[in-house]
Amino acid sequence: MRAWIKAIGVPTIILLAMTAARAQAPAAPPATERSALDAEVQELRREVVDLNRDLFMLEEDLLFPASTQIAVFVSMDVGTFFDLDAVQIRIDDKEVSNYLYTTREREALLRGGVHRIWLGNMKAGEHEMVAFFTGRGTHGRDYKRGATQTIDKGVGAKYVELRISDRLRKLQPEFVVRVWE
Amino acid sequence: MGLRLTIVLGALAAWSAAAGSAAPALAVPELGAARTHAPDPAGLPPVKIQDLHYGDVLFHFYGRDHFEALVRLSAYREQGHLAPHARDAELLRGGLYLSLGQHREAREIFERLLADTTTPAPVRDRAWFYLGKVQYASGLFDQSERALRAVSAGLPIELESERRLLIAQGLMYRGQFDAAIAELDGWQGPENWTAYARFNLGVALVRANFAERGHAVLEQVGLLQATDPELLALRDKANLALGFALLQADQPAPARAALDRVRLQGPQANKALLGAGWADAASGDYQQALVPWAELHGRDILDAAVQESYLAVPYAYMELAAVGQAVGYYEQAIAAYDAERVRLDESIASIRAGRLLGAVLGADRAARPDWFAQFIELPDAPESRYLYHLLADHEFQEGLKNYRSLEAMSRNLEGWATSLGAFSDMIETRRNAFAARIPEADRRLATVDIADINRRRDDLRARLEAALHDRDVTALATERERQWLSQLANVEAGLAAHAGNAGFDDAREKARLARGVMNWNLDAAWRMRKWQAERAMRELDAVVHDARTRRTGSVKARQDVPAAAAGLAVRVDAVSPRVSVLASRVKAAMTAQGRRLGDIAIVELEQQRSRLDEYSVQARYALATIYDRASAGEP
Repeated sequence: MRAWIKAIGVPTIILLAMTAARAQAPAAPPATERSALDAEVQELRREVVDLNRDLFMLEEDLLFPASTQIAVFVSMDVGTFFDLDAVQIRIDDKEVSNYLYTTREREALLRGGVHRIWLGNMKAGEHEMVAFFTGRGTHGRDYKRGATQTIDKGVGAKYVELRISDRLRKLQPEFVVRVWE
Repeated sequence: MGLRLTIVLGALAAWSAAAGSAAPALAVPELGAARTHAPDPAGLPPVKIQDLHYGDVLFHFYGRDHFEALVRLSAYREQGHLAPHARDAELLRGGLYLSLGQHREAREIFERLLADTTTPAPVRDRAWFYLGKVQYASGLFDQSERALRAVSAGLPIELESERRLLIAQGLMYRGQFDAAIAELDGWQGPENWTAYARFNLGVALVRANFAERGHAVLEQVGLLQATDPELLALRDKANLALGFALLQADQPAPARAALDRVRLQGPQANKALLGAGWADAASGDYQQALVPWAELHGRDILDAAVQESYLAVPYAYMELAAVGQAVGYYEQAIAAYDAERVRLDESIASIRAGRLLGAVLGADRAARPDWFAQFIELPDAPESRYLYHLLADHEFQEGLKNYRSLEAMSRNLEGWATSLGAFSDMIETRRNAFAARIPEADRRLATVDIADINRRRDDLRARLEAALHDRDVTALATERERQWLSQLANVEAGLAAHAGNAGFDDAREKARLARGVMNWNLDAAWRMRKWQAERAMRELDAVVHDARTRRTGSVKARQDVPAAAAGLAVRVDAVSPRVSVLASRVKAAMTAQGRRLGDIAIVELEQQRSRLDEYSVQARYALATIYDRASAGEP
């Protein structure tokens, strides 16, 4: 070791080490300078986000106008007594949605996310909605439950929440349908 | 001498990568990928959902689909949803822009939240924190530190840990190692964060010339008992940094011990093996040095440390006076360098021919088409052989991220272009269908005279109210009763014509009784009939109201539907050019970005080729020296 240190001299080594240290591009350095191309990519990304926002609203207004719109959401809290696999929704005895949840989506629900499982159109008047929840209950047993709700569709958009929660007293999951005004 | 200088420089480069500049940088990468860039779900304040749409945004956010979450959040905000969560939603919007690398938008949102004096303290703290992160990522370390220090309290432990590390790393980037040491010394947080903090502290101490303390701290990190891959990688880095620091301090034995702790299959393994050999060589044990160098010699020659081992092995043999083996290894080195240079030339030519992006993206096809998806296996083709090495280059990585982001945007815009075509068709179809129904609808509307219905209903109501007021029981008589009343009235009129005639007395008595029975029955039924009549009147009101509403609705729809369709058509027409113009700009940016990636790759590969040229020259020179000595009869 000493031999090769002597060979190039200690001060040189230290100088080289310091120079290399400062010149070396860090693995994830802050973006101190942005090239014109980087700036263009940023600008494009911003415009694409804005455009997607406008198109999202346009699509909703076109396909699901507020006068006939109904949106069904699935939410979950705790989930101790029920591990959700799938939700099926039938409106007036016609299946409108059958959704299978991934692990990531289940986690998102448990963290407080609310899944808009179905967005559709409905005529004004009374309709019967039935939701079937499939999954695993306590002790890993297969579990399937249904919940029914009469929906009185008026002139404005209607939002329905399918809520899965734990009923601690009975150590059972509870499935509640709530219509939001 | 030349050979030694090269090897020392190689060692220094490894050292500097491990410890020198690494001070702030080395501790960041995993944090950067896992915790610094993407907003952490833990960073959101706990919330009870009061608006389902906000919950929907959170669903996509927690599902790590940040682009979709941002689009929905922006749309719902524009549609007037999210009001109960307005501030949280803004905080999330800023975080989502930050995760997509849109620093300017993120900064503007956080600054706006902070300028609003009504923003509650927990939201302010998070806004300060994220603002500090944005500024840090933009290299504005002074501003970043000020923002991060403005956090009053109450951040969740994960964010608080990240805040402290960001402050320390910012100080280290500015060379303020003493301040960084003060920030990190004695700090305890969650296990992973503490380990990173200790590593940074160790490097800061070394850089601040407190070598002994720095070594001790790095050793602590290097001796961590861990199973978590992130911590194992950090432990390797700490041992590598410590090993080279001790080598520089002329302490080869402890340096060897530290380098021995680096895992043999990790990303730091090659550098550690090279350093381990140098530690042995520094102790004068060239026999022992051959063990790690020989192991390195059998590895992939793409790695710089492996390339150096091709010189180190014969160098050790020379030191052991095994000239024959040294000659053999130098010849192997020259052949290997030459072969590698040919492969590098092939790769450079292939990249110049524009095949690099195909290889990069081809390898990426199986991955989820996410803007920040990771790569899978790469094929051993000229254009892709060096990709892993290129990917280690920050500029290349950033450029590639941009390229993939542009590619995702292009796909997104293509999808919308198709949808917009369908939207136009849909609007046209609806217009035609509506127009076809108009004549029949108009005909039906013309047959319904709502004013006449109203008039008749009002007349009926007036008659009912008069009957009720006068208690006119006959007004509510049934049809049958009306017939009877009429017949009775006729009978009574006939009897009246024979007034005084006793022969009609029986008939008169019967008529009187019949009148009495009728009056009795009508009177008895009055209350029930009154209630029924009032109910029927209410039902009639409802039906009339319904008819009026339907007619109003039909008339309104007659006017509004074409207007709404026209409005939608205008929106589609307005947005279509935006899509096509953006798509063209994205394509142009992709071309430019692709060119730039190729340029970066070629520069990098040419540097590798220069290094190989240099190594090759040194090997040839060493070989020539040996032959010269042999021909001169020297040992």
